[in-house]
Amino acid sequence: MKHVIIGNGIAGVSAAEVIRELDATAAITMIGDETFPPYSRPMISYVLEGSQSHAKLPIRSADFYNELGIEPILGQRAAGIEVESCQVVLANGATVPYDRLLIATGADPRPIKADGLGLKNIFYMRTQAHAAAQVAALDNARKAVVLGGGLVGFKAAYGLLKRGLAVTMLITSGYPLAMQVDLVAGQMILAEMVRHGLTVEVGVTVQGFAGSKRVEAVVTDTGRLLDCDLVIIGKGVLPCRDFIPKDRVEVDLGVVVDEYLQTSAANIYAAGDVAELHDLARDCRWVNALWPEAANQGRVAGYNMAGIRLAYPGSLSRNVMRVFDLDVLTVGNTDPRDEDGFVTVSTGGQANRFYRRLVIKEDRLVGAVLIGDIEQGGVLRALIENRTPLRLPAERLLRPGFNFGQLL
Amino acid sequence: MNQVVVHPERCVGCMQCMLACATAHSRNGTLFGATLERPQPKPRIHVGAGRFNEGFPNRCRHCQPAPCQSACLAGAINRIASTGTVMINLDRCINCASCAMACPYGVIRFHEDPFGPPNRPIAVKCDNCSNRVVKGLIPACVEVCKAGALTWEAVDDAMRRKNREVARAMTGEADCPNVPAGVALLKFIKRAELELNER
Repeated sequence: MKHVIIGNGIAGVSAAEVIRELDATAAITMIGDETFPPYSRPMISYVLEGSQSHAKLPIRSADFYNELGIEPILGQRAAGIEVESCQVVLANGATVPYDRLLIATGADPRPIKADGLGLKNIFYMRTQAHAAAQVAALDNARKAVVLGGGLVGFKAAYGLLKRGLAVTMLITSGYPLAMQVDLVAGQMILAEMVRHGLTVEVGVTVQGFAGSKRVEAVVTDTGRLLDCDLVIIGKGVLPCRDFIPKDRVEVDLGVVVDEYLQTSAANIYAAGDVAELHDLARDCRWVNALWPEAANQGRVAGYNMAGIRLAYPGSLSRNVMRVFDLDVLTVGNTDPRDEDGFVTVSTGGQANRFYRRLVIKEDRLVGAVLIGDIEQGGVLRALIENRTPLRLPAERLLRPGFNFGQLL
Repeated sequence: MNQVVVHPERCVGCMQCMLACATAHSRNGTLFGATLERPQPKPRIHVGAGRFNEGFPNRCRHCQPAPCQSACLAGAINRIASTGTVMINLDRCINCASCAMACPYGVIRFHEDPFGPPNRPIAVKCDNCSNRVVKGLIPACVEVCKAGALTWEAVDDAMRRKNREVARAMTGEADCPNVPAGVALLKFIKRAELELNER
């Protein structure tokens, strides 16, 4: 049996480990764009903020491929899949035949269209190489502009603030993390960032970047110049699926997979940031481009590729972050704006620096936001993920003393 | 292989295990010395109020597989093969709280630890008193529990005993109740109090 895995992020790595666990002799080939040893992608934001060194990023041995008997093809992207003849085509024209294929190509930063993108000190934030380049540019940087207020933009702005830069964040929603949290939590996070020196501009569209060699200003569509010597573009990510033949493999925003993480094509699976599958809280197909999701999906895909049918009930958005002195934990569908049938309960708010909001549909928890006292977040996450009917009134779950014992 | 087995039906909520745990994880090693230590040693077992205000001792189950381990961004959580204990590497931990999101029991806390890196909070949870066990001692929480809510035994043995207790209760041979009468009374009173308050 010949397994081919495209992508050496955590989904691909986890799948390879499972396949090797289950089958000592199977041939495994991994095609990866990045040549660095398998590393913790979310940790790059800790490298940017300066709390962790770049050297701590690897989370597998430098000899990972050799130890697991994997044939690595690194520094290359897949350029196509020939579904009929069961082979992957590489950018250099070489082909790699497979019996089972995993698409774990992850995602790329969402590109922007603007003039002057080639200037120095304009960065995306996705890989260890980006983080290393950002850190190297910090020495001579005083003022930074961050484009985007989603997870990437937020992490970039937070890291730069921690490094003591004056940061301006350009966002389209009124508050950061609008996809992750509701208005109250978003404003609490915003206030905490502003308290630590963040400048926020809402509704500004970037037309380009000005400077001679290095970026010196962001140019808005109204012609205004925002002085800066460093820019991070954090407008989110897009699944890497352009090389996939859409007439053979169903692709929506991501690669569509069933509960066994199999695509619409035989013997082709997908996992991680590139995969689009059932979302447990939203009850529809969704791309949850998150590291723990990718790790879990990779393992389950590995089982299925190795011939053990194992279902993945669905994905779930979840995030936990420290925003200076605020601890924030969000999970599931936290802000069902236009949909019917949801009940929300909450306690605390801006004045308390403590907030809890729960979103319930019928008798099940589907979303939660916690600010402060996040230790019980995993209990709520498990309730959502397991679709456990609530036996307690939701208000009990909001109380400070709520613990696992109350669910028994 | 012995493990800490929790019998929540016997817990009276005295929290002695929390004190013993914090003391066992202090540098000083005595209760009074521990109270004076900075950073303050903190318990890794957490007695909370259950649904009916009864005591509920909550601690790491050392799950296999452990969701905290696969969620750890820094690769800081691993299992000691010989004892099954899930451990947090305090040098690698980045205090990101991803394990709090992963843990379905809510037993991980984040703070500075007497044995942790100075001035840096980390994730802290039950380590099965590994340092005591290698010295031939039993975990501190078990040693101090007077209600039999925490025992140190092979899980299979605990399971068999529990099965027998349940069987006996079902067949009416309940002359030796599985929960002591005093504990049962205490729980009954707490529950009644709660129901009166909520009326």
